[in-house]
Amino acid sequence: MLVTFAQAVGDAMKEEMRRDDRILVFGEDIAEFGNIFGITRGMLEEFGPKRVRNTPISEMAFIGAAMGAAETGLRPCVELMYADFSLVAFAEIYHCIAKWRYMHGPEYKLPLVIRSAMGSSFGATGEHSNCLESLYMHSPGLLVASPSNAYDAKGLLKEAIRNDNPVMFFEHKQLYKTKGEVPEEEYTIPFGVADIKREGSDVTVIAIGLMVGRALEAAEALAKEGVSVEVLDPRTLVPFDKEAVRRSVSKTHRAMVVEESNKTSGVGAEIAAMMQEEMYDELDGPVVRVAALDVPLPYNIELEKYAIPDAEQIAAAIRKML
Amino acid sequence: MEYSNEFLVKLYEELLHCRLFEKKLVDTYALGKIPGHIHSGLGGEACYAGTLATRQQGDYFKNSHRCIAVANLLGVSLETAFSEIMAKRTGNAGGRGGVNHVSQLKYNMLGFSATLACDIGLAGGAAMRLQYDGIDNIAYTFYGDGTANRGPVHEAMNLAAVWKLPVLFVCDNNQFGISTHVSQGSSVPNPAADRAASYGMPSAIADGTDVLNVYEAAKKLTDHIRAGNGPAVLECKNYRWRGHFEGDQTPYRDKKVTEEWMQKDSVAKMEKLLLDKKIIDQATIDNMYQQFDDEMERAIAFAEASPAITPEEIYEYLYV
Repeated sequence: MLVTFAQAVGDAMKEEMRRDDRILVFGEDIAEFGNIFGITRGMLEEFGPKRVRNTPISEMAFIGAAMGAAETGLRPCVELMYADFSLVAFAEIYHCIAKWRYMHGPEYKLPLVIRSAMGSSFGATGEHSNCLESLYMHSPGLLVASPSNAYDAKGLLKEAIRNDNPVMFFEHKQLYKTKGEVPEEEYTIPFGVADIKREGSDVTVIAIGLMVGRALEAAEALAKEGVSVEVLDPRTLVPFDKEAVRRSVSKTHRAMVVEESNKTSGVGAEIAAMMQEEMYDELDGPVVRVAALDVPLPYNIELEKYAIPDAEQIAAAIRKML
Repeated sequence: MEYSNEFLVKLYEELLHCRLFEKKLVDTYALGKIPGHIHSGLGGEACYAGTLATRQQGDYFKNSHRCIAVANLLGVSLETAFSEIMAKRTGNAGGRGGVNHVSQLKYNMLGFSATLACDIGLAGGAAMRLQYDGIDNIAYTFYGDGTANRGPVHEAMNLAAVWKLPVLFVCDNNQFGISTHVSQGSSVPNPAADRAASYGMPSAIADGTDVLNVYEAAKKLTDHIRAGNGPAVLECKNYRWRGHFEGDQTPYRDKKVTEEWMQKDSVAKMEKLLLDKKIIDQATIDNMYQQFDDEMERAIAFAEASPAITPEEIYEYLYV
């Protein structure tokens, strides 16, 4: 069936909540209001106020509570409305959630998921537009997912909820309305397994989240010019499927990373550095990074568009590699 | 309040345990056997022993960094505790966490964050679980007067109050956040208790140098919480006998004041009470000191003889 990304996320949670009554959902405006994007609509009615709770605007407190609940036997799937707000509880996530089991011992499992809407969305400006995967990739102990379509979002979220490790789960706002084919039957997608979204032989483009669609557009345009682009979607950044990347570049020998976040210390920096350390022999040239400009995203929509890679920019960068 | 002799002796034992453990930590650190830093809890023991005398099977606990011996009161063995403190494989985290993270979930300990206050919400989460299962246990969360000014404490108090979570916030007010006196850091004289009202919670102030006074205040509040009335705040006034960390020479305070406070010794008070009432005699007390010291020495010897983890094990416990 054809469903939106938003529906797929909501369905994943509802299906898991029906399966396991230890799963709780809480966050800002997620109960009666059903979350600002409508994702949790119907949950309060189906699962009741014990399992679906509105929180005050107190990220530090409810992220802390999610930890305490996870330690003691519940499985919270909490919502931090925007990824930007995760910084308000950054120490709780970066120091505590990530390191808790390491610092206290193996019995301290934290089966919890923190879901956040992220990314640019037409004038949301510098504090409501960030893609922060790289910050959380930098904190050993966390898993990080950044799906690019409805099918992946559903399968990965179900896996995240079942996983005994803490998971940062990022959902791009511009993807919420995009539709994709999702099977009726149950499925999950394991973490650390990349997906080749388009096969090609000249260049490997590793694209993340919203950028997967733009990379596919670029690949389509370049196909008309006789350039064959492989688009690889890692789907999860921690764990990261290095082997899939290796397989792809051992065929194409050229690689690019496309991300929506700004370039400095971004996801692309990490992937490019890793490839140069571990796959140098496969590469015929440097790994190219296509990323946003190093600016806070401006309010002006034309400038916002200018700051973030689009399909044309990706295509132009690929042409330069050949 | 009327107390049975048995209760008083048990309370004294736990208080003494905290005192002697904290002393032993200082001595062992001075011998260079403990890496990192310790934060002596000498002077504040009554806050922990008195509060925890109200605990019941099934309650949850979030400790502070000032009274590591709480772990032992809750069930962690001295061997495990000293092994973790001395960075050995036989510690609860194999020496990956250290002195602040002596904790075992099987004893309902929630762990501790050295980014003070970032762990304060854990008790609320454990309380959610208790509330979810309809269990009338409670969750205790200990923190200090310095931490009382951090945002997460206020958010956690508000959340606990809004959701009527069974949490007792216990502030070990030893008057100093490192070098900063409580009067320089808090807008109110009682940084925990005075703020409880703004979250609609009851509170009490106890003499943190008097373990029975702490117990009585804690008992009243925990009865209130156990009856389903939501969270409460207990503030225990005491004085940090030593510096923030070992090596801190405390140039920021008057030694005379420190000495005056050290006269208000919770252990000495309890011993006087037990001796005056002839509940135990001096020989029994002396024997308890000796016995406990022997147990700690054995645990330290065990930890010293235990292997450390190897570089091959450095990634263990990171992911399930």
